[in-house]
Amino acid sequence: MTTGTLKLVKLEVTRALRNKKYLFFTVLYPAALFLMLGGTLNGTTKVMGTDLAMPAFYMVAMASFGALTAVLMGNSERIAKEREAGWVRQLRLTSLPGRGYVLAKTASAGVLSLPAILVVFAVAALVKGVRFEVWQWLALTGSIWAGSLVFAALGVALGYLASGDTVRPITMLFYFGLSILGGLWMPTAAFPQWLRDICEWLPTHAYAGLGQAIELGGAPHMKDVAILAVYFVLFTGAAAWLYRKDSLKA
Amino acid sequence: MKTTTATHTAAAPGPGATTGSVVSFQNVTKSYGAVRAVDGLSLDLHPGETVALLGPNGAGKSSTLDLLLGLRPADSGSVRLFGTTPREAIAAGRVGAMLQTGGLMEEVTVREIVALTCALHPRPYPVEEVLSRAGISDIAGRLVNKLSGGQEQRVRFALATAGDNELIVLDEPTTGMDVTSRQAFWATMREQAARGRTVLFATHYLEEADAIADRVLVLSKGRLLADGTAAEIKAKAGARRIAFDLADGQVDERALRALPHLTSYERHGETVKLQSRDADATVHAVYALGLYPRNLEVAGLGLEQAFIALTEAEEANAS
Repeated sequence: MTTGTLKLVKLEVTRALRNKKYLFFTVLYPAALFLMLGGTLNGTTKVMGTDLAMPAFYMVAMASFGALTAVLMGNSERIAKEREAGWVRQLRLTSLPGRGYVLAKTASAGVLSLPAILVVFAVAALVKGVRFEVWQWLALTGSIWAGSLVFAALGVALGYLASGDTVRPITMLFYFGLSILGGLWMPTAAFPQWLRDICEWLPTHAYAGLGQAIELGGAPHMKDVAILAVYFVLFTGAAAWLYRKDSLKA
Repeated sequence: MKTTTATHTAAAPGPGATTGSVVSFQNVTKSYGAVRAVDGLSLDLHPGETVALLGPNGAGKSSTLDLLLGLRPADSGSVRLFGTTPREAIAAGRVGAMLQTGGLMEEVTVREIVALTCALHPRPYPVEEVLSRAGISDIAGRLVNKLSGGQEQRVRFALATAGDNELIVLDEPTTGMDVTSRQAFWATMREQAARGRTVLFATHYLEEADAIADRVLVLSKGRLLADGTAAEIKAKAGARRIAFDLADGQVDERALRALPHLTSYERHGETVKLQSRDADATVHAVYALGLYPRNLEVAGLGLEQAFIALTEAEEANAS
């Protein structure tokens, strides 16, 4: 990454931290949801279809959800709006390399998803007494953080696909659809079988699966990793194609 | 078909040659759907020139600048800046540009966005210097999305002059500025030109081109209509429209067409419509023919009509 791209990342992060909406939706909201959902049953009841207790299940779900919010919402809406406003054009008149903008967006989304994950973990540990080994905490942070790259790529693709007016509804559709069907809000075990068969192949389901496997003391399942890898290639490919199409237009 | 009144012959630009052309278009064409925005355009800009790209709305000025800056690819022909591709020249920090459509990053301060652009330039000026030259030191702490149109325009100017560029490209830079800012703006631009920079600006104000540029390119329908000094262009665009009615039997087509200084001739029944480069002489000649024109009208052409007159004259010459 060039120094110019790094400067842009820094400014993107500064700007997001200044934005109260960002702080609320990506940092406080998932933590609050965790307290609400994870606190409805006592700490030892196993979640339907898993061997995890309620707080542990929702800790991973909400950390994943918070990271998803940070990378997806941040990227898609800003890219679509900045494309329309001509900021992307303006940047093309600087020495910033062509991919620098997308790279900076993705990198800053990555930086901004970290607090979302860590705040949920801290609340779970301090308020709900969730306990894991040190390696598990580190592995959870690392895998949820790395997994969020898949959705950062989706955010870039949506940002280049949608116009400034349509980007929000389109993003919301993906955001809520993927969150609910992927089991970030409630266990998919409650869904009818036909729906569960579909949900199993969603990137968010695999994403939550990474953290759950680590919580149970094992490595993430190869199937989940493979599903995420395929989606990553798919989303990145779509983003690259849409980006190239856009840069020929303006 | 002859489409230009004067075309500078292109010296073959060697790679990286700074003494050659700053900008070189050769037979460049660009269409959007059925609309041909740039139509076989060839031109060369030389170091140190201040050039106005003049034309009515829709003449292809913005499209030409987009191609020049490599924001869009040409359908055919070649666009070179300093003997390289536009992207290479921009990446090397040789070009600064201010576009009408250039947006700004929101939710950051004026100083932050200027500092970013300085950081992205290979040979940047100090941030405070850029701010003060653009006259935005006093609003440096303000959020970019809370600025007025004129203030935004000055921020765009700051971004275009954040570093040591050799070519500055401006697309209707004074749009939205009041008279005082306009004057201050052009004073800064003259200073840039005096330092040996090549300045290219698009405008639809003939007066602006006249006051600032030492060379004027007139664009119409994507073609280069005229290329000369402001005085030369003004003489051409200074045409007037003359209209009058003649009684039956007085219409002598041949004599009318032979009137002096005509650039266009049209007749509908008794009504004669002329365009002339010297309306006084033309009207005098009408009387000298012994005619008695009724409902005589003489009016100046707007720039747009003057351009149309120029185009029609060109096409008439060519056919």
